[in-house]
Amino acid sequence: MKILVAVKQVAALDEDFKIRADGRDIDADYLIRDLNEWDDFSLEEAMRIKEAANTPGDIEVVAVSVGPASVDESLRKCLAKGADRALRVWDDAIEYSDPIAIARVLAAVTMREAPDMLFAGVQSSDHSFASTGIATAAFLNWPHAAVVNMLNYTPGAKTAVLRRELEGGLLQELELQCPAVLTIQLGINTPRYASLRSIKQAAAKPIEMLSLADLHLVANDVGESGSSSRVRRMYLPEKGRAQLIEGDVATKARRLAEIIKEFRGQT
Amino acid sequence: MVATTTRILFETFGATEVRVFYAFGWAAIAAFAWGVYVQIRKYRRGAALTLEGSLWARSRAMISMVLSHRSIDRRDAAAGAAHRLIFYGFTLLFIGTATITLQYDFLEPLFGIRFWQGEFYLIFSLVLDVAGIALIAGLIHMMIRRGWMRLPKLDYARPDRSPGDPDFDRPQYRREDWAFLWTLVIIGSTGYLLEGARLVWLQGRPDVWDTRWWSPVGAMLAAGFQEVGLNAGGAAMLRHGLWWFHGLLALAFIALIPYTKVKHIFTASGSWLARDALAAQRLPRIADSAAQPGVAKITDFNWKQLLNLDACTKCGRCHEACPARAVGAPLSPRDVILSLREFAHATLESGVLPDAAELDVHGKGPGQVSMETLWSCRTCMACVEICPVAVEHIPIIVQMRRKLVEDGAMDPLLTKTLQTIHKTGNSFGESKRKRGAWSKALPFTLKDARKEPVDVLWFVGDYASFDPRNQKVSQTFATLMQEAGVDFGILYDGESNAGNDVRRVGEEGLYEVLATSNISALAAAQFKTVVTTDPHSFNTIKNEYPDFGGKFEIQHYTTLTRELFRNGKLRVTRPLKYRVTFHDPCHLGRFNKGYEAPRELLTLLGCELVEMGRCRANSFCCGAGGGRIWVPDPVGVEKPAQNRMKEAAAIPGLEVYVVSCPKDLTMFEDALKTTGLEGKFVVRELIELIREAIPA
Repeated sequence: MKILVAVKQVAALDEDFKIRADGRDIDADYLIRDLNEWDDFSLEEAMRIKEAANTPGDIEVVAVSVGPASVDESLRKCLAKGADRALRVWDDAIEYSDPIAIARVLAAVTMREAPDMLFAGVQSSDHSFASTGIATAAFLNWPHAAVVNMLNYTPGAKTAVLRRELEGGLLQELELQCPAVLTIQLGINTPRYASLRSIKQAAAKPIEMLSLADLHLVANDVGESGSSSRVRRMYLPEKGRAQLIEGDVATKARRLAEIIKEFRGQT
Repeated sequence: MVATTTRILFETFGATEVRVFYAFGWAAIAAFAWGVYVQIRKYRRGAALTLEGSLWARSRAMISMVLSHRSIDRRDAAAGAAHRLIFYGFTLLFIGTATITLQYDFLEPLFGIRFWQGEFYLIFSLVLDVAGIALIAGLIHMMIRRGWMRLPKLDYARPDRSPGDPDFDRPQYRREDWAFLWTLVIIGSTGYLLEGARLVWLQGRPDVWDTRWWSPVGAMLAAGFQEVGLNAGGAAMLRHGLWWFHGLLALAFIALIPYTKVKHIFTASGSWLARDALAAQRLPRIADSAAQPGVAKITDFNWKQLLNLDACTKCGRCHEACPARAVGAPLSPRDVILSLREFAHATLESGVLPDAAELDVHGKGPGQVSMETLWSCRTCMACVEICPVAVEHIPIIVQMRRKLVEDGAMDPLLTKTLQTIHKTGNSFGESKRKRGAWSKALPFTLKDARKEPVDVLWFVGDYASFDPRNQKVSQTFATLMQEAGVDFGILYDGESNAGNDVRRVGEEGLYEVLATSNISALAAAQFKTVVTTDPHSFNTIKNEYPDFGGKFEIQHYTTLTRELFRNGKLRVTRPLKYRVTFHDPCHLGRFNKGYEAPRELLTLLGCELVEMGRCRANSFCCGAGGGRIWVPDPVGVEKPAQNRMKEAAAIPGLEVYVVSCPKDLTMFEDALKTTGLEGKFVVRELIELIREAIPA
């Protein structure tokens, strides 16, 4: 039995970042990369299911990511936390793929691996499309549930019972046919700590590389040609009219009074 | 007549009776030897360890410590004095008895040598009488401490257990303490009674009777016996009975040494012999071959640590000194040691080693240590520093934490902090690039030591780089150095968290990453000496980086500044008249003995220094050490820093509470507010006082 966990290496902004020359993304020099926070939880959920099983050895947790070599660092973290295998898919043609194109790749990986479940995070912290997991389900034509914050699943079972977060504080309990795609919400568990020692040891474990050909895909399936959307530009909005008044209470009060007078045209 | 005077040994004893006595003697020796074997087998079940340094130097240090009783005198001179009486009394009596055996069983039968008679015997007799008095007096003082003074540190109730738990206050220890004291008192006093009875019995023999005042206590007792009408015949019977009672009790005592607290005679000496003077300052590395980091099973401790457990005499000094214990946290260093000792006793003394599962020292069962206990530790070294028998608690606790870290068994906030440090190289989660940003506010450009040579390389540390309050102190220090004409610079984003606290949390892998990164940054720069404003960084760079190939000359800013004053580079122009007290930072004071420089500076500045009760080696940790600065203390209970503020507030007219550590500044400024003492006095970095005394 197998649980496939799709993970993403996300980027966070460093101080004083710059937009890339083409205006469509941040200059890579200013990005700090790490495993997507949601994926910490989905991997942990898979690990817990494995560890709770009667024979954990029969359950394989496989982490998969689509990205260049730098993504290995995040996959190593998954291996350090206990994933049995890690797969990375890359081809230069994949650059500029949108979530739909990435989902196409993940669906192909899923077909190849034939897991009992596919987990993904609800969204990524950098681009926040919240669509990769669900789009993968669409390509696979599998049942799916998004924003799962409680899961009751025994590997090999025909169905899983889960709870989803809805708007307005509502919860929904769902019984779902397996195999299925679940996108996991933060807080479903407490992710374990990957000690530096375990990360170091994971460095010795292999990461399997998959090419487009391995997945029976062609260059047109990915990248801009395989995508349904395209980033036009990325930018910081112009400063609004809000301003922060600094100083002690008296100074603040005086400045506030001045502003009010300015607005009323009294000065 | 005097020349033949000697002790009466087996006179009037039949051959069988002597043989019976020897049989008991041999049985006692056998029981003792078996006990020693079992203990040594227990220690050998621990992990291997090779001691550094020569055995000769170690032995000399140990003998000096044992004979001088220096470590027992500290913070409890009365206990030291009483123990000295017991130790020397017991030792003399033991040597005396051994001398008898030496002549009677070896020298005389083998070589016909007799020395134990005449003047030698009389002096011997006097010395032993005095020794016996010393022994009994010391024991009685110990009884008074336990029975009447009821010192809190001798209360075995544990902060990490609740009343009702099987190992909550361990009454078996109290029974053992009293049995030990009474046994020795009875052995000592029956010795005198026996002596008195012998004198009365042999009053007709001038060689005995005329020299009786060489055993003054015995002679007085003899006079007493005669007073109540005891005659020679009665005394002979009394002497015979007492002889057996005293002899068998003494043999039983010897037989029981390895099985009871009496073994501290050997284990405490062994502990001193194996002592690591930098036990807390320089933590052990994890061998590359280690299957798992840290201690999971009792057998993962090394033999010396297992010996340390047995050396503990439950004196309670660490219990008293521990800041976590003082504020009611579920930790007493004493109880960590005793728990593990009980655990080792239960698992490692049988012929066959139990299954690995039964050797797990983590948990809440009897003898196990819970994670709450381990995470309460601030690694402030108060326990290691005061231990009279050289128990090294800190490496024991940190090695157990290493296992917890590997299992992720820690506060989620700590997990988060470790991940942050891994990602950004600092605990604030700030961008690496911003590390030197505080220097932008300076009116001059701080040299980048990565790009140009400097005399002094300033290792700034996390708190002084990123915490807004401490950034002001950093700016002040930079200005002072500039004004003093020091050629200095910093590593900017080449510097990472020094790792001192990461290592003490137990995240050794991350520590290695940080240490090697800083070492290569330092090695690439050109400088004469390193200075740091952060005692935590100071400790790890000074004591631990050398283990990773980074040998740098480093000083804390207090010694560098003192030098600048001595050379006249800095001059006080406006003496401060403040009444101040100084808080010794753990890592500067206890860890690295930097007690004097800050005090000299305060005097130079014109301040009146009033010491707190807990100062210098006994300084009370602010609560931030060992990674605890990253985990908030529970709400509603006193924090160590608050406890400290109350202590300082008791100094009449105190104006400034002076610190010389960034974490102290943060902790105490906060505690001053939360204790409601704000306005009574202020917390200041020593650097700020220097600035005040040298107005720009």
